[in-house]
Amino acid sequence: MFRDSLKGIDRLLDTEIPEGSIILVTGAEGTLKSGLAFSLLASELKDGGHGLYATLEQTKESHLSNMLSLGVKRHEGLHIFDYQDMRLEWRDREPDMLKTTEEVLDYYSEKHGSLSLFALDSMNALYTLSDETTNLRREMYYFFDHLRDMGLTSLLIMEDSSRRGPEHFLADGVIELGLVEGADGVKRYIRIRKMRATKHRMERHQMVVDRDGISILGPIY
Amino acid sequence: MENSIERGQELDMSEECQACLDKIVRSNRDVILLFILRERPMCGYDLIKEIFSRYNVFLSQGTVYPILYSLEEEGVLRAEFNKGNMRSKSYSITTEGKRFTEEKFEGFIKALEYSLSLFRR
Repeated sequence: MFRDSLKGIDRLLDTEIPEGSIILVTGAEGTLKSGLAFSLLASELKDGGHGLYATLEQTKESHLSNMLSLGVKRHEGLHIFDYQDMRLEWRDREPDMLKTTEEVLDYYSEKHGSLSLFALDSMNALYTLSDETTNLRREMYYFFDHLRDMGLTSLLIMEDSSRRGPEHFLADGVIELGLVEGADGVKRYIRIRKMRATKHRMERHQMVVDRDGISILGPIY
Repeated sequence: MENSIERGQELDMSEECQACLDKIVRSNRDVILLFILRERPMCGYDLIKEIFSRYNVFLSQGTVYPILYSLEEEGVLRAEFNKGNMRSKSYSITTEGKRFTEEKFEGFIKALEYSLSLFRR
C-alpha cells in the first residue's frame, strides 16, 4: 500500500507496505503529520473503498479547510469523525476514548462493509482525555488488537517522537516527520524509521507542499 | 456513568424482557433516534438520556454520535448550535429526511408486527 499515493514516495518505499499495518506518524508541531496521514488515506481511496479519519484535535470543518489549503482533496469514501460535540456535551463525564473509538470504527465498518483505512489524530489527545486510572499500556495493547482484527491499515498520529510508549513496539511502522534548518532555510523532512515486511530507505527525504499536495523529494544530509 | 443519569420512569419488566428490549434498541439505534427526533430536536447527550429514560438502555457515545453524523451527511438530519449554547448542537429531521424517516418507521413496525404474528399463531 501507499507506494503510488504521493508524488515521490517511491524514493522511500522500494516495496509496498502490507495491508493491515499499524503505523505511527510522529513529529513536532507544524511537520504536516495530519496533512500526510489525510493525503495517504485520500489517495488510497480515490478509486473507491472506505476509510475513517478520526480527529480529536480539530473540528471536521477546520480539518477539511486545512486539508484544502494543502491541496488535498477528500474523496467520498473518506469519512471524518470529530469528537468535538461529544467532548463538549459530556465534559463532566468524558467517555472512555479508546472504547469510543473502537465503537466508532465498528459502526463505520458495519455501515460501509469495507472499511480498510483508519487514521487517528492524535494519540496524544487520546491519552490526555483518557482516565488516569486506566492501565493505558494494557488498553493500548487491546486497541491495537482491535485494529488488527478489523484488518485496518492504520495511521496513528503522535506529537512527540522522543516519547517511547507501548505504541512504539506494538506498531509495525514508524514514520518520522521533522524540520531541518540549513543555509538555504528550513526544510520539512520525512523518514521511515521502521516498517515491518517492507523494503525501504532510512534517509531523511525532503517533503514539500505545492498546489497538488504533498510531494517527496531527494534525501537531505 | 449509566447510573448517574436519572431514569424518567420505572419500568416493570422481567430481566428476560429487559434483555430483549436491550437487543431491540441496540440493533435499531438509528430508528429509535429518528423516532425521538421526530418529536423534537435534541443534542446527542439528551438523546442518550432520553433513550435511557424510555427503555432503560444506556447507549454509549460511540454508538450514537456516528449515526447522527452519518444521517447529517446524508441530508436526513440538520445540526444547529443551540441558541446561547455553543457547547451542543441540536439535531432535527430535514424536509428531505422526512420521507426517509417514514419509510424507516414503516419497515421497522412491519417487521416487528410480522415477527409477533408468527409468535402468536
